[in-house]
Amino acid sequence: MTTAPLTAMPIGTESQLVIAPMLIVLVAAVGSLLLGRRPRGRIGVSLAGGAAFAIAVAAIDWYIVLAPDAPGIATYQVGDWPAPFGITLVVDGLSAFMLTMVAILGIASLVFSTRVLPELDRRSYYFPLFHFLALGVTGAFLTGDLFNLFVWFEVMLMASYIFVAYYGGPQHTRAAFWYVALNLLASAIFLLGVGGIYATTGTLNMAELARRIADPVAYGIDPGPIVGLLAMLLSVFAIKAGLVPFQFWIPTAYRSAPPQVAALLAGATKKVGIYAIIRLSFTVFGDAQIAVSLEVPGVGAVAGDSPLAFVGAALSVMAAASILVGGIGAVGRDSLEGVLAYSSIGQVGFIAVPVAIAATTANPTLRHVGIVAALVYALNHTLAKGLLFLSVGAIRSATGTSRLADLGGLAGRSPPLAIAFFVGSLALVGIPPLSGFFGKFLVFDVAARAEAASVLVLLLVGSLLTIAYVTRTWNLSFWGARTDAVEGATADAVQVGVVVVLAAAIVAVGVGFEPVYEFADAAASAALDSEGYREAVGEYAPTGDQAGGGHE
Amino acid sequence: MTTIVLAAVIGALFALGTFLILRRDLIRVVWGLAIISQAANVYLLAMGGIAAGTADSVPVLAGHGEHVPETADPLVQALVLTAIVIGFGMTAFALVLSYRVYEEHDTLDVSELGDRE
Repeated sequence: MTTAPLTAMPIGTESQLVIAPMLIVLVAAVGSLLLGRRPRGRIGVSLAGGAAFAIAVAAIDWYIVLAPDAPGIATYQVGDWPAPFGITLVVDGLSAFMLTMVAILGIASLVFSTRVLPELDRRSYYFPLFHFLALGVTGAFLTGDLFNLFVWFEVMLMASYIFVAYYGGPQHTRAAFWYVALNLLASAIFLLGVGGIYATTGTLNMAELARRIADPVAYGIDPGPIVGLLAMLLSVFAIKAGLVPFQFWIPTAYRSAPPQVAALLAGATKKVGIYAIIRLSFTVFGDAQIAVSLEVPGVGAVAGDSPLAFVGAALSVMAAASILVGGIGAVGRDSLEGVLAYSSIGQVGFIAVPVAIAATTANPTLRHVGIVAALVYALNHTLAKGLLFLSVGAIRSATGTSRLADLGGLAGRSPPLAIAFFVGSLALVGIPPLSGFFGKFLVFDVAARAEAASVLVLLLVGSLLTIAYVTRTWNLSFWGARTDAVEGATADAVQVGVVVVLAAAIVAVGVGFEPVYEFADAAASAALDSEGYREAVGEYAPTGDQAGGGHE
Repeated sequence: MTTIVLAAVIGALFALGTFLILRRDLIRVVWGLAIISQAANVYLLAMGGIAAGTADSVPVLAGHGEHVPETADPLVQALVLTAIVIGFGMTAFALVLSYRVYEEHDTLDVSELGDRE
């Protein structure tokens, strides 16, 4: 990459770059849909789409966020309709960081998928669905409009429904049905929240929302209901992220989906929930001045002059419960997917803890560090959990089983796979010099700076539980005597290769942590820079009677 | 008056949807979900407010020079249209999925499907 001036950019303007990843995924999805009769062509289109997506995301990272003269934020007004009437797509540090995370995992999973079930794909549209899932995730990261976020959530969910039901057996259809039912209900609640926010503020464009919430008097709105509506949205995003008490669907759904898709569900769609929580709480409602005071059992009185106080309190309870439920649940599972699914619940708790601290504190430095910690931990979880789920896919392809009782002695059968699995496990635990170490370190650091002793104890317990289930899983599946299933198994070279590359990425992030930290730092600054976000999307002169949604 | 009627309708729809979701029959659960989605749509419309039409909000109607009826917020109409389409697709998918559940399990009774683990 050269630091060429922006006028000499190889591909259009920054504004056009914003929509590039979405267009690429859409073309890949439609292209692979049309090539239904040609499996090889379909795989070719998919891989080309994946490569183009990677290039687009890398270009966004460099030209918009990381380059020395980068603007830091870029917007695209779809159809040239100005905000707040049109749909705005926004890329800032936060979206770019999340997109990069998803791109790495998505491409690994895509390459892996080309070696699984090619004969099934002819009938089942695996690759088009894969791209539509990626499209939903990408759209959710890019959109600057609340209702549009709902639409991208639905696109993402549509594809994930089919993946959960993919194998079509009794337990898969049952799991998919409850997954669909839960998410339809969640979508209805999302709509209720969106409707309420529209009635309260008279807009759904995030930048315009932030502007009106920050200065309710000028726009003649009563910001009181916002806290409750934000709670509604928070519960929907917590369902997506799988925080306790909304975690119950995760084990069933993750066990039911193909492992390489479960990697995406854990690594990408969960992060959409986390992203939405961070974006709405900090960027949109961060400057709101609303007096909050309520009693939360177990936390005590919550008071503050911004909805963030409430978000922080609710998140800390959910995060604490998630760490415990996920950790304890993962220790006793009897299959690899079960362990990883419960582990995901616990790890998302670890991501939510620093976000909760950032929302609770009034100290801007601590708030910034909290978001950085959450992002670094999210990156680590995406890489490590993606790697482990893909390893499970490789193990299932080779041995036909993922039950811990039927596995043993895998380390001798496939040393590269074993080493990669080991690296992923250690990254979850947080051993230096892997990416997980910095994630864990930053989370502990935030808790220590906030002087929250109870949080530190909780994090320690969570970490010990992580060590417990990781060790148990390793001993039962890779150590010990070889079982019959393992004895005759040969792992697919490409699948193992993908897993090894991901393991190398985890080591690389840990060893070359400096640039990663800078990127996360830029992302956290962007998340907290409500002012910059509003200005980038564009000013819109209030005419005075726009607000209130006809309630005068 | 409109507000009270709308509020009552939305409440009734949510009540009915919730009642159906809690039934043992999967098909009734799907209908319950569909009704709750529609209740959310009616709620969205109500949230946008029903106001006297003006030349700004409904130029088509206002251009006639005749009396302009009360209209719902046009932006909300667009949102609801989108939500209806998504809800319809989801309901169709959920119905097909219940059929597949029936094929795999030979029953549509929730309590006979076994636990969710």
